Amino acid sequence: MMHTLITEVRQKANGKGMSNLSFITLAMFGVLVAVFGVASLLVPRFFDINNVSNLIAQQADIIIGIGVTFLMISGYFDLSVGGIIAMAAVLSAYFSQAPSAASFELGSGLGIPYGLALVLTLICCVGIGAINAFFIVKMKIASVIVTLGTLAFSRGIAMIVAQGDQRNTGLPPIFKECGSFTFVGTLNLAVLIMIVLLIGALIVEKKTVFGRRMYQIGANQTAARLSGVKVDRELSLLYMLSALLGGISGIVMASKFNSGNCALGTGYEFDALVVTVLGGTSVFGGFGSVAGMVIGAFILGILSTSVNMLGFPPSLQMLVRALVIIVAILAQRFALDRRNV
Amino acid sequence: MDHKIRPQTVAEAVIERILAEISAGQLQPDQRLPPQREIARRLGVSNSSVREALQSLQTMGVVDDYVLEIRNLVKDFPGVRAVDDVSFNVRRNTVHCLVGENGAGKSTLIKILTGAYLRTSGTILLNGTEYVAYNPREARQKGIATLFQELNVVDQLTVEDNLTLGVEDVKFGFLTKSRKIRQMLEVLRSIEPSIEPKQKVGKLSVAKKQIVEIAKAAASEADIIIMDEPTAALSEGEIKRLFRIIRGLKEKNVTVIYISHRLDEIFEIGDVVTVMRDGKHIATKPVAEVKDRAELIKMMIGKAVFEQYVPREIGAEAALLEVRHLTTDKLHDISFAVRPGEIVGFYGLVGAGKTELARAIFGADRYSGEIYFKNRKLACHPAGAIEAGIALVPEERRTQGLFPILTIRDNIPVMSMAKVACGGFVDSAKEREAAEQFVKALNIVTSSIEKQMFKLSGGNQQKVVFSKCLFADTDLLILDEPTRGIDVGAKSEIYSIIRELAAQGKAIVFFSSELPEILNSCDRIFLLYDGRLKAEIQNGPHVDSEKIIHIVTGGE
Repeated sequence: MMHTLITEVRQKANGKGMSNLSFITLAMFGVLVAVFGVASLLVPRFFDINNVSNLIAQQADIIIGIGVTFLMISGYFDLSVGGIIAMAAVLSAYFSQAPSAASFELGSGLGIPYGLALVLTLICCVGIGAINAFFIVKMKIASVIVTLGTLAFSRGIAMIVAQGDQRNTGLPPIFKECGSFTFVGTLNLAVLIMIVLLIGALIVEKKTVFGRRMYQIGANQTAARLSGVKVDRELSLLYMLSALLGGISGIVMASKFNSGNCALGTGYEFDALVVTVLGGTSVFGGFGSVAGMVIGAFILGILSTSVNMLGFPPSLQMLVRALVIIVAILAQRFALDRRNV
Repeated sequence: MDHKIRPQTVAEAVIERILAEISAGQLQPDQRLPPQREIARRLGVSNSSVREALQSLQTMGVVDDYVLEIRNLVKDFPGVRAVDDVSFNVRRNTVHCLVGENGAGKSTLIKILTGAYLRTSGTILLNGTEYVAYNPREARQKGIATLFQELNVVDQLTVEDNLTLGVEDVKFGFLTKSRKIRQMLEVLRSIEPSIEPKQKVGKLSVAKKQIVEIAKAAASEADIIIMDEPTAALSEGEIKRLFRIIRGLKEKNVTVIYISHRLDEIFEIGDVVTVMRDGKHIATKPVAEVKDRAELIKMMIGKAVFEQYVPREIGAEAALLEVRHLTTDKLHDISFAVRPGEIVGFYGLVGAGKTELARAIFGADRYSGEIYFKNRKLACHPAGAIEAGIALVPEERRTQGLFPILTIRDNIPVMSMAKVACGGFVDSAKEREAAEQFVKALNIVTSSIEKQMFKLSGGNQQKVVFSKCLFADTDLLILDEPTRGIDVGAKSEIYSIIRELAAQGKAIVFFSSELPEILNSCDRIFLLYDGRLKAEIQNGPHVDSEKIIHIVTGGE
């Protein structure tokens, strides 16, 4: 009985029943459960319904993680999302602020109705994505370099518009609803938006031709081109999608804090990369999943919360995170290599 | 003593002393001699006089001085024996040519010598001692340098830096300009004075880059320099200069193993030629004893037995594909037409422009001229070609044809996702069905359609690439080296697929550098040489394969 069970597990592990992707996702889910268990035991007051639901609510990196994951599956990077968050936050505030609500400059904006302000904000964000696409796809410049540039560029716009500070006066009342309108318990509009986007992303990834193309381009771009895949179009759309998601994330965050702060989203491009890689996505492309990224985001979230609640200084928090990431990636590599001999 | 037999020159003195050592049993001519340097040291004379002496002794037939001895060399790949019990010797300070068709085993043999592959069995002796190299660097250290077709120079560095790359002299972490560098520059100057040491290598022509590499090899005291198709990218004048340098290398105590498809070159520069065919050693003989090209060609192709081509009836329909005055930087004014149901072959050697032509028709590369398909001008990109009804099996299966880390199921529908999708959503049942169907129809050996491509054998991978194209159900199929690197069984299966497709009325354009497969499959054959169409032949029993080889190797 026990013996057959072991053989069965071994067979599964040998790739007879499960794809590498499901294997890694399941393994990382196991890690998530373990990390959660350890944190519940070791960290006082960790296993608390409020704390756990906060954990879910705080996952801003999941929204930008979708675009970053899609691009990494295609073999490309997007580091610009952190800056886009700040730009979207500041612009959404600036566009909707009353024209002359205050005597000082930071207090007055364009007074555009909130709905239209959001559309304009998102158009600006997609514009950044289009800049990324132009330089990476048409000019063939390395994506790390280009998106590093647009990261600085978009944050620069945020800093100019917010004058290095934040815009938090003269905002319409509806401004803060998006981040704080609550249905039940901690299920607010922000979480709902995240869940809807996630479901959409999972469908795109698993069920659509567009999703299949990402894997094909990432696995072998030359072969994809010679198989009639419109590689340039697909990549451009992905960069614009990623920027759009960055914009949505920025709008939601600005709404939550009821402020357009130009420092929002600092370091989020890094977190988005980390959770993507933690979720098993290969930086060489062709392999990975949004589901894995979500698991990665929760692992990182639990770690951050735990070290925080244990009272570690921020410098140590950074180190602990770095260590966990390196161990996780090494473990994944090891597991996949053993499996694929 | 008799004055008449007293040695007149140093060389003769050396000859006498070597003969004396042989008779005393210190040297054993029937086996092998120690390296010249060692003999020179032992006798207390210069290297050059020893070389001279040995050469005379060789011509007298007293000694055999082999720099390289290959005995019973075997290299197996899964399903293929690429090198099959090969034995021959390379005499010191000669230009030893290696010829054979594509797939004859030359490259595999060279890769074993340069350390890229490990042999399955057999012995290699370099200067009389057992030789094995695990990488090109080690091969070079042991005395075998290689001039690859892909030159190994760094464009951004100067000539001087390139010469010393990897052998820099370092003192306290700083580079020092030592005697070694000056020696290397000396060698370079003696070979080609026009190359400035401070020049950036990127500014040099391909020919001069080669010379820098040759100088580096010669200066690092390589015993053997292997040259793989060194003239492929050179002009007439540059080839002449290269040959002069090669002759000069013999004086510098270097043996050259020369690989070329251009048979005329063998007669011009070669001392000895070794012919290989199907992984086997066919003959090794002095070039002077080879009568002419025809004899060489006969040895290369042998009396290959292959399935006979059966002439087929092609309908007199209008042309499906019409290529008019196609020109790129590698192709010159190519025009031809293909009718439905026809198998048209393009035969030529490596570098003749086959891949370039295949890619241009498919729209993968830019070109001037016009391509009409079904009487409509074809757009110049692969997506357009596929939409119009053209599919390509590319030259490089792994890097261009398939997605190694994706599964068979993922690979097969790539060219026409619309067939397994509905409104942009993939119907996974249809996808699986398509994969299952092709795995069965093409007899793809796998445990499951969820297996990743890189785990399949070469033949099965190629069948998946075919499935990809067949699933797209195009009217024209372009095949670029469709049977490269796959075993005999899979090859014949692929030939029968090709014939069946033609019988269904689909047109096939078949590019290959293996003549037998062109002869056994194609209705019409075009011969390519140097980017030009040299001849068009209607296939049939009268076709003269020796004449074909004559044309594609540059003969008129």
